[in-house]
Amino acid sequence: MATVYSQYAWLVPVFPLAAFLILTAFGRGLKQTGAIVAVLGSFGALALSALVLIEHLGGADEYNDSFHWIKIGGYALTAGFDVTNLTALMLVVVSLVAFLVNIYSMGYMKDDERMTVFFGYVALFTFSMLGLVLADNLLTLYIFWELVGVCSFLLIGFWYQKPEAKAAAKKAFIVTRIGDVGLLIALLLLFWYMPDHDLSFAAIENVFGQTGLITEGITTLIAILIFVGAVGKSGQFPLHVWLPDAMEGPTPISALIHAATMVAAGVFLVARTFPIFEASQAALDTVAWVGAFTAIFAASIAIAQNDIKRILAYSTVSQLGYMMMAIGLGSVTAGMFHLFTHAFFKALLFLGAGSVIHAVHTQDIHEMGGLGKTMKTTAWTFAIGALALAGIPPLSGFWSKDAILAEALHANPALFVVGIAAAFLTALYMSRLFFLVFAGNPKAGGEAHESPATMTVPLIVLAVLAVIAGFVEMPFSGTGWFGEWLTGHAAEHEGAALVMLVSTAIGLLGIYLGWLIYVKGAISRDVVTSRAPWLTRMLERKYYIDEIYHAVFTVSLRAIGRACDAFDRHVVGGAVRLAGGAAFWTGRAATRMQSGQPQSYGLYVVIGLVILVAAIAGRRFW
Amino acid sequence: MESSFPWLTLLTFSPIIGLLVLLFIPGTNSRALRTAAIVTTLVPLGLSLWLFASYDAANPNAFREQVDWITIALNHEAVNIGSSAYVFQYHLAVDGLSLPLVALAALVAVMAALASVHIKKRWKAFYVWFLLLETGMLGVFLARDLILFFLFFELTLIALFFLIGIWGSLNREKAANTFLIYNGLGSALMLIAFVLLISTAGASLNATEQGGDLVYSGDYATIAANLTSGESLTNLPGGYDNPFALSDGMRWTIFILLLAAFGIKLPVLPLHTWMLRVHAEAPPSVVMIHSGVLLKMGGYGLIRFGIGLFPELAEDASFVLALLGAVSVLYGAVLAFVQREFRLVLAYSSVSHMGIVLLGIASLNEIGLQGAVFQLVSHGLISALLFLIVGSLYERTGTTELEELGGLARPMPFMSGVLLAAGMASLGLPGLSGFIGEFLAFLGLFETMKWVTAIAAIGVILAAVYILRSVLKITFGPQQERYAVLKDARLIEAVPMIALFAFIVLLGVYPSVLTDTMQGSFDNIIAHLNTRMGG
Repeated sequence: MATVYSQYAWLVPVFPLAAFLILTAFGRGLKQTGAIVAVLGSFGALALSALVLIEHLGGADEYNDSFHWIKIGGYALTAGFDVTNLTALMLVVVSLVAFLVNIYSMGYMKDDERMTVFFGYVALFTFSMLGLVLADNLLTLYIFWELVGVCSFLLIGFWYQKPEAKAAAKKAFIVTRIGDVGLLIALLLLFWYMPDHDLSFAAIENVFGQTGLITEGITTLIAILIFVGAVGKSGQFPLHVWLPDAMEGPTPISALIHAATMVAAGVFLVARTFPIFEASQAALDTVAWVGAFTAIFAASIAIAQNDIKRILAYSTVSQLGYMMMAIGLGSVTAGMFHLFTHAFFKALLFLGAGSVIHAVHTQDIHEMGGLGKTMKTTAWTFAIGALALAGIPPLSGFWSKDAILAEALHANPALFVVGIAAAFLTALYMSRLFFLVFAGNPKAGGEAHESPATMTVPLIVLAVLAVIAGFVEMPFSGTGWFGEWLTGHAAEHEGAALVMLVSTAIGLLGIYLGWLIYVKGAISRDVVTSRAPWLTRMLERKYYIDEIYHAVFTVSLRAIGRACDAFDRHVVGGAVRLAGGAAFWTGRAATRMQSGQPQSYGLYVVIGLVILVAAIAGRRFW
Repeated sequence: MESSFPWLTLLTFSPIIGLLVLLFIPGTNSRALRTAAIVTTLVPLGLSLWLFASYDAANPNAFREQVDWITIALNHEAVNIGSSAYVFQYHLAVDGLSLPLVALAALVAVMAALASVHIKKRWKAFYVWFLLLETGMLGVFLARDLILFFLFFELTLIALFFLIGIWGSLNREKAANTFLIYNGLGSALMLIAFVLLISTAGASLNATEQGGDLVYSGDYATIAANLTSGESLTNLPGGYDNPFALSDGMRWTIFILLLAAFGIKLPVLPLHTWMLRVHAEAPPSVVMIHSGVLLKMGGYGLIRFGIGLFPELAEDASFVLALLGAVSVLYGAVLAFVQREFRLVLAYSSVSHMGIVLLGIASLNEIGLQGAVFQLVSHGLISALLFLIVGSLYERTGTTELEELGGLARPMPFMSGVLLAAGMASLGLPGLSGFIGEFLAFLGLFETMKWVTAIAAIGVILAAVYILRSVLKITFGPQQERYAVLKDARLIEAVPMIALFAFIVLLGVYPSVLTDTMQGSFDNIIAHLNTRMGG
């Protein structure tokens, strides 16, 4: 089918870009007008994205357009955009969440004097993220990939006067950059190995779809390096450390960037370059196991955290692990499906958390309680998000997690067990979080009030989406329509009924356990701490990963730096001084010899003569 | 289209014209002196941008000025020829390699003239040296005769010596002396290499009835042709054998002399210590030129004379060059990370970034070479911007010690924002110029030396580490009481900041503006290497 709107899809990011430029040019004078500019920018992007998606739901063809960006000799680096069903879906997810977060921020950031700067950064991020989604080749994607990273950095450090925010921003940038170097090297490899140096995803699919064009070793290497980039961006182990710290940023940012969109870019990247992974079983296994390990590892940390945003952050890390695992199992559909539903319910949870923080001015869940009575909208929307995350039917998270678990059971039972265990932990930490915050008696001083409509309306919209987003793909609808539409081949769901039963039971069990501990009090909260204090401590300290990294990397880098500094000063600089000094002192000595006294001249002559005679005499014996 | 008007001469010497005007302005009238100097620097900028726009890569000879300048007749009766002489020409030309650097020099000069608002004494003398310096650096990039090149090169040395020695900070005289000794040494090596080249490969024979006129010239094209096509050396017309044919050992000697001479300038490890002092002691507006343009003469010289004249030797040495580049990248970055003085952070960052130039050069393919030149231009803009900010910062806070600074984003949001943006450009953020130079250099080198490239790419992480450490130390964090009253950038400071950043964005978003100009500039080098491989 011919395309009408898709050819203008490049305009989608232009709306927020325009908003960013206006906000930057006119600056702080804009105040509330600035917020409206930002909202309009994201709305423009949303409207056009929706048209593109509708067109693609109707079966529109893929649309691609590119131009030579840099031409050097016989080589050309291109830039371009690509509208496939996958990108159309992502466009809507990104612009929808961005739009809702912009509206929410009008309320949340109302009293901040740098509000226009905030909206400017958000607009720049939205632009970059949409650009990332649209990119038709790996170089263009990489450019936007870095830009979303810098926006994330700017927004984490938005409250720049706080030392924690400064440290977190720096950490986020540097840790993700480690991953980015992997992606960069993958890019260099691809450039020199691809026929015609073509970096477009279409060409990648074409080349790696056939066997033998590129050797398996190189294929695996490229895939792993790309995955390193994805690990950094999507907070997978061992580069997950930046994401929980990133919670220093304003909460709407945590929802937009660090839950729904940017952190999912790693998953999107692997999905986009999936043909490379598909050509290497080793790479697929790596992705699956790193994802599965991250899923359970982060979920276990989430149980022991007390900061509401950090719990959600570790939850995000864990859920991103699920998505990676799905793709590693070979199912782009399941991974992208979970990305799709997760974007809504996790954004909902973060915005709900923001609403709570806005009301009680603390992030410690032990200082909260009983908010269900005063903040009704926040409470019930949060409950929907939590249930969706815990995988309770018929909410969206259930269907997408179910799809992943079904794939795991089908392909690798060991991973299925890990997935189920992580699902249990997920239900447990979410019920702990929910009951501590919303049930029981109020603790925080003063009466908490429900947030203004600018904040609650986005919550309601997201809650609706968290309920219904899963219906696009239900195993017993039997059609596999979503997978067919997204990737061209339908997913199979063998043993789906069994998986549904097990995962629902596990989810309910987790919630019930949480209820027993934190509401009923039937099980002591200290049941683990009293018997294995080391375990609690280890989970609280996040397995000491930060401490280890600090000792291994920061300290050693500084030591190397100091050593090099000493080398530079004393050895390199010393050699220079020595050379300069030698010339100087030779000159000084020679000057002194010109004393004008015949006696000393006579002495020099005698000394010279002795040396000469000695030299000649010495030659005999030589 | 051969232009008859000497545009290049006008471009090169227009600062001198302004200097003459300046002489009639009373030395106490700082405002008038500054205005005159700024207006003067706008002329070469306008001319170079016009040149840039009208330059056609397919027709690089449109602008060329070539006249015999100095002729020294030689008594050469020993060999049987009609006459022989040294002929040095006044020869200016542009090509895709020099044009971007000419434009860079003219642009940075304007920005530095604007930034010289911080100069507090002896304005007249300052601008005189400043404008002489500008003529020198424009001439360096335009000269096509070895002796003429050398003269312009020396002019920059002398001018910079006085600019550092008189207007620098506390240890200015020491810094100026170190600078002069080191660069003087470099010049001496260069001169030896040039003399060897002129008296051997510079020879050409015009057949006449008496047997021919033997001419030794410093003409770049003649020397390049003689060196790269071995035939014309051994088999000169008229059955005359050049007795000065270069042996392999001689070629290597000259090549290494050139590497050392320009390596000091770039600077290449371990020849970098002199520039640390210049960065720390010279007035910031002079460092803008020094770091922004003068270091680039080293990279330019390496490409033009080092590999332009000796492509095969460069190929044999390419691994060593790449290794030196990679070590510079990492060593500079690690050192930048532990510096306590912001200007030294930037100085070591220059070492690191010039290492990338070396990587691009070592690739010896078109992508890498263009990357090297792109990196020269980009780093010129970025370091000019960074030192522009340093100047404004230093004027307000009186220090560039990192420990003393902090929380400046609150009193100075604009300047802090620009500093962060410049830092982002420096660490190679896509969308800004630094990324393109870095990426092309890596991409080029990756074709031949994958491991060296991959190791050097670690520098990308380290750059983020040291840039963020220092920039965030200055701008982020709680506001300090003593800095609460500081004022943000004035208009005369903001304009060059915005202008430089605009160029950084332009090159980052639309790099073709530079790469299209450079198209074909390295064809000779690459074609030569290809025939070598084929043969």
